[in-house]
Amino acid sequence: MGFRTFHLALGALTACLVSLAEVPAFESSVLPILQSNCIECHGEKVRMKDLDVGAYDRLMRGSESGPVVVPGKPDESRLYQLIREGKMPAGKPRLSEKETGAIRAWIEGGALPSGAGKKVEAAALNQHDVIPVMLLRCTACHGPRRQDGGLDLHTRAGMLRGGKSGPAMLPGNSAGSLMMRKMQSGDMPPKKGLLDAGVKPVTPAEMEKIARWIDAGAPEGNVRPDVASTESDPLVSDKDRQFWAFQPPRAAKPPKVAHTSRVKNPIDAFVLKKLEDKGLTLSAEADRLTLIRRAYFDLTGLPPEPSEALAFQANPDPLAYEKLIDRLLASPRYGERWGRFWLDLAGYADSTGGKLSADTIRPFAWRYRDYVIRSFNSDKPYNRFLLEQIAGDELENYEIAPVVTPELMDNLIATGFLAMGPDSTNEREVNFVDDRLDVIADEVDILGASVMGLTMKCARCHSHKYDPIPQRDYYRLLDVFKGAYDEHDWVPPLTAEKYGRTFSGRYLPYVTPLATPFQLMQEQRARELQAAEARVRTAALQEELKQKAEAATKRVFEQRLAELPKELHEDLRKMFTTAADQRTEPQKELAKKYESRLRVSPRELRRVDAAYAKEADEVDRQVKAFAAQSPDPKIHALWDRGEPSPTYVLRRGSPTNFGQLVGPGVPSVLTDGKTPFVVKPPWPGAPKTGRRLAFAQWLVRPDHPLTARVMVNRIWKEHFGTGIVTTMANFGKAGAAPTHPELLDWLAVEFVVQGWSVKAMQRLMMTSGAYRQDSKIDSIHEEKDPDNALLSRMSLRRMSAEVLNDTMLLVSGRLDEARYGAPAPVQVRGDGLVTPVEAGKGWRRSIYVQQRRSNIPTILDNFDFPAMTPNCVDRVDSTVATQALHLMNNGMVDDMADSFAGRVKQEAGSDPKQQVEKLYWMALSRPPDDEERKLSLEGLAKLSLGRLCHTMLNSAAFLYID
Amino acid sequence: MSTSNLVSRRGFFNRVSDGLYGAALAGLISKDVYGASLEGARRSYDLKPRRPDFEPKATSVIQLFMHGGPSQMDLFDPKPTLDKHHGEAYFDKVAADLTAPEGAGGLLRSPFKFARHGQSGTWVSEIMPHLAKQVDDIAVIKSMFTTHPNHEPALFMIHSGRIIGGRPAIGAWVAYGLGSESQNLPAYVVLDDPMGLPVNGVQNWQSGFLPPVYQGMRLRSVGSPILNLQPERKQAAELVQAERDLLSRLDLIHKRNRPGQLQLDARIASYELAARLQVDASDALDVSKESKETLALYGVGEQPSDSYARRCLMARRLVERGVRYVQIYINGQIWDNHSQIEENLKTACARTDKPVAALLQDLKQRGLLDKTLVLWGGEFGRMPIAQFEKNARDAGRDHNPRAFTLWMAGAGIKPGISYGMTDDVGYEVAEHPVSVTDWHATILHLLGLDYRQLVFDQSGLKEKLTSVYDARIVREVLA
Repeated sequence: MGFRTFHLALGALTACLVSLAEVPAFESSVLPILQSNCIECHGEKVRMKDLDVGAYDRLMRGSESGPVVVPGKPDESRLYQLIREGKMPAGKPRLSEKETGAIRAWIEGGALPSGAGKKVEAAALNQHDVIPVMLLRCTACHGPRRQDGGLDLHTRAGMLRGGKSGPAMLPGNSAGSLMMRKMQSGDMPPKKGLLDAGVKPVTPAEMEKIARWIDAGAPEGNVRPDVASTESDPLVSDKDRQFWAFQPPRAAKPPKVAHTSRVKNPIDAFVLKKLEDKGLTLSAEADRLTLIRRAYFDLTGLPPEPSEALAFQANPDPLAYEKLIDRLLASPRYGERWGRFWLDLAGYADSTGGKLSADTIRPFAWRYRDYVIRSFNSDKPYNRFLLEQIAGDELENYEIAPVVTPELMDNLIATGFLAMGPDSTNEREVNFVDDRLDVIADEVDILGASVMGLTMKCARCHSHKYDPIPQRDYYRLLDVFKGAYDEHDWVPPLTAEKYGRTFSGRYLPYVTPLATPFQLMQEQRARELQAAEARVRTAALQEELKQKAEAATKRVFEQRLAELPKELHEDLRKMFTTAADQRTEPQKELAKKYESRLRVSPRELRRVDAAYAKEADEVDRQVKAFAAQSPDPKIHALWDRGEPSPTYVLRRGSPTNFGQLVGPGVPSVLTDGKTPFVVKPPWPGAPKTGRRLAFAQWLVRPDHPLTARVMVNRIWKEHFGTGIVTTMANFGKAGAAPTHPELLDWLAVEFVVQGWSVKAMQRLMMTSGAYRQDSKIDSIHEEKDPDNALLSRMSLRRMSAEVLNDTMLLVSGRLDEARYGAPAPVQVRGDGLVTPVEAGKGWRRSIYVQQRRSNIPTILDNFDFPAMTPNCVDRVDSTVATQALHLMNNGMVDDMADSFAGRVKQEAGSDPKQQVEKLYWMALSRPPDDEERKLSLEGLAKLSLGRLCHTMLNSAAFLYID
Repeated sequence: MSTSNLVSRRGFFNRVSDGLYGAALAGLISKDVYGASLEGARRSYDLKPRRPDFEPKATSVIQLFMHGGPSQMDLFDPKPTLDKHHGEAYFDKVAADLTAPEGAGGLLRSPFKFARHGQSGTWVSEIMPHLAKQVDDIAVIKSMFTTHPNHEPALFMIHSGRIIGGRPAIGAWVAYGLGSESQNLPAYVVLDDPMGLPVNGVQNWQSGFLPPVYQGMRLRSVGSPILNLQPERKQAAELVQAERDLLSRLDLIHKRNRPGQLQLDARIASYELAARLQVDASDALDVSKESKETLALYGVGEQPSDSYARRCLMARRLVERGVRYVQIYINGQIWDNHSQIEENLKTACARTDKPVAALLQDLKQRGLLDKTLVLWGGEFGRMPIAQFEKNARDAGRDHNPRAFTLWMAGAGIKPGISYGMTDDVGYEVAEHPVSVTDWHATILHLLGLDYRQLVFDQSGLKEKLTSVYDARIVREVLA
């Protein structure tokens, strides 16, 4: 505080001096300071933060965040602030007091171009100063989708053309322009309609700007969207591009190592080299029982049956292990384990989440879940997988396809990838432009963090602090998605009937692939029948409720009447049953005095009559349930709608503070900076921009610096416990350096060579010697490789939430392996415990349980199932008391333990010794050791077999995978 | 080496654990594995007590969260202008903020009488007679504002600093910054209403991107305080003990065969903590151990205050036991008075006024108010205009993010003051605006934490409770 006061005083003093002395001239006194200190980063060639201080007009244009010089006000000028605080020039000595003083004095003196004389002209306006205001305030009702009064204000031509009341804008005459008059009088945008339209009132500053533009003759200006060109990019330098992660991966030759006998494939050469450099080697190979358990969990998320483990242990085939891996990769359970891996990244959920707590169910999201599971099972090449998910709607013309093929349907379902994030914009209170931008920002984060290994969210408000991602690049990326996500032409996530209107949601129809017209007709007929039945039952329910409401209303009326003087009862009843316009004068008097006390609205009825409220809630629930078995199968999808709004850089991320107009593009640092981003319609005459398709094709280029690296690193982490780059979602400068850079690149190149096959990568990793090591830690490990960064052993891993839950179900014989389809519902107990509902043989695998963001099954929640806000790029393993409490005390775990005991008894009979053996094999895929056997038998003398099984489900041996 | 690299390298032992054991683990790491200290980076995520950035005024916090948006002009901020212009149109001035423009009416006068109370002469409405007696202990801030007119975003804002979900609650930040003084109880406790969760449900006390060990633990004030705290299936004590013994012996064998696997130690510790919790959590919430006088003071056993009174009393018992941050919730949105504000506000006050005043009095007489910070307030305020005004009885008020009142009391707070001012009708702040961010920074400051230093590295981004917003410590309300 003291410093500040002092400084202000000093400032005032300087100001006095300046007014007496001469104001420094820009060319001779200020520009030289800027040229020798700032131009290196903020010049014509390198223009960090989009700021160029090399000439007067360019300096006055400002940076990506707006003007940096406010004439006459040095303390509000970013240029002066940062220099004064010593924050600029970055990494260099502070400017001298004399230099700082000169800049201050120049700004104070009006920031004129040279010496005294010319004033700073307000920048000339063009249509792009006005159109974004129209998009924010007007085009919801007077735009391309909807032209109330025949008016479309989203272009200059539209303003001139006007609507039913004549032209909206008269160039050179703001006072006579209808749109100006409507805004100034406060009639437009209409106050009562703001919320429905998702519009906030136009501000005085905006009106002033529009008026200025009109008065200047409404110039169009010659502004082209900023896109990559063949000229080198001033915002990102070639030096920036040198960072390892921004260079295409290049496969190194596997190094020569001493322990050649341990090399099972090239992975081991890379790993051994690092180990040998430290005087280490790979640990011994784990025994077969450990290996089979490890491989089963890694590929199927479930343990082997005892018979399988025994057979593998005894198998003399030298390739038995390799064959095991192949068999597991072909298991239908594989997609359920690995689909989950991808669903974390996509932020999959069966509900909307977002800013309101309704957390409405997304009834068709599960088709995307099934698509992911099937894609993993069929080993869909990763490049194809990404193309479908990012631009499936632009791959083939689905609207006029002669036959609906499974591929066509898959393409559309796949687009759910970038439609899974939290989004409650189906509610009008949170459906303003900034709410929509939040939804888009989440999807960009999902894309960046999961597929590109870049944290992009910083660049929404300003250029990235660590990585060379200018704010411009973020908005170029938003423009890529504009055809599908246009904050000024919004599709809400759900279909809803609200406020007397119907909103159609982000759905496309689902058509059974390859069905004949007759089959489709039959399906349609069945759906109509179902819908008709639902209608009939809904109507019956509502009728029943209406009668109950009438009875309840009578009850409440009588109660209220009883509180009033008895002598009035008769008259009040008469008054109440007489229509208002038929009442006599005395009745009118009575009504004035008592009617509101006696009348009870339906809303109030629920509040005052608990019994009725309960019945009404139940009817609501049933009606909703009928509505939810929607007769029309749909896809939760994303698709290009053709003619998106223009995209402007939003300074500091604020939708009202728009800067430069940009076009579609990819992060410059991932290109050579001299290649335009070419977009063309996906097929001739397509009503689509083709931007996402162009983006996806760029993303899956074989030499893309990040796509393959990021994916192999993720696969690696699932198998080895940590990534080669440990910051899974950040390959940028603030991320961790790879522990084995050559290995990472070798794998990335191999991934592409092997046709982007995920299974091929897994086969490679899992058949390596590195993967087959045991997990024992000895003193040399603790000394030389304490955190296992060098892979001197296998890491001990805890079961994930789903693996734990599914394994308990399997072991207890309660797992219902029904695959695909609508999710199993969950129930919420009075105390808040959430459990899946039992059905069929027992419970379904966790991946098939409804994932409503607000009601995650408690056991999954306790064991670190991630909150999808918006997605999860790296799960955390916690060890907290609530986990212990759950496994020790939860009733469902008790039940599973009993079922487990039943299975043990069935297989082992009543002999305790046999029981203990069987129990170990079933739960741990191995026999007990002598000590465990002895303790378990002693335990069995005191405890029931069920409780011994319960102990096993609680044990560390069960929870941790060696 | 970047800090995120350090964070991720902790993967080799357990990254997250609770209980005392964390302290031992952290000690082990710094001495035996890393040797020299690694500046700035946190090495373990546990609940051992941590040193604040500077000498704190408060060591614990009790937050009385008044869900729904209490009406400033009916409780603390009298507006004679509303009486004068009652019924006059005002819609155009507030249209942009209304969540339900359909029901908007004219200016609405308060149905309640106001008076100045205490030495301080603090204005309090007639429906808070108990608090009126404690006003010399509290600092009222009348110039709070927030940024969203809907409950959910505004709740996210007041609890976690931004209007979006997925970020850590303030209690989680405090637990992360200071750990717990209790070895057997969590650092951050939530006492939610057995009648139902607030809007946003459990997200209100989530840990967001902070490790889950800092998440608020719900202690239920009726029945079992924690989910699964007691066995669902009742068994003889000796059988329970026998199973526990067997489990711990089997786990010890498992651990012995795997030397150096630190997460196995953490897991055993978590089972021990779970066992202690079973006893201590129940004991901390057992208000039957309080004297008759204390129970009467809070309004336990009386309707309609009983339920809230119990939670206030429990909060005191938890703070006594070293719990760092206690949040008390109340069901529904009792302060969300869109209609019938006269009747509904009276009910809300009848449920909470006596317990809240008693909590202040009780903390004070036990000397706990000197180190406990008490916070009262909701997520936003209410509009000067009427809503659903078919008649005076039905009229209520819509949400208003531009101005609301809250108060602070206890450790480090200047008692008996009112700070800030709203305009003539209470729609907007007129003087000394205090943002939610400012308020958060002030709370952290009282706990000895610098809001700029309490950061968590998320993929290179240094996340803070105050996010990217400018904050100001509201020194005017500090003692």
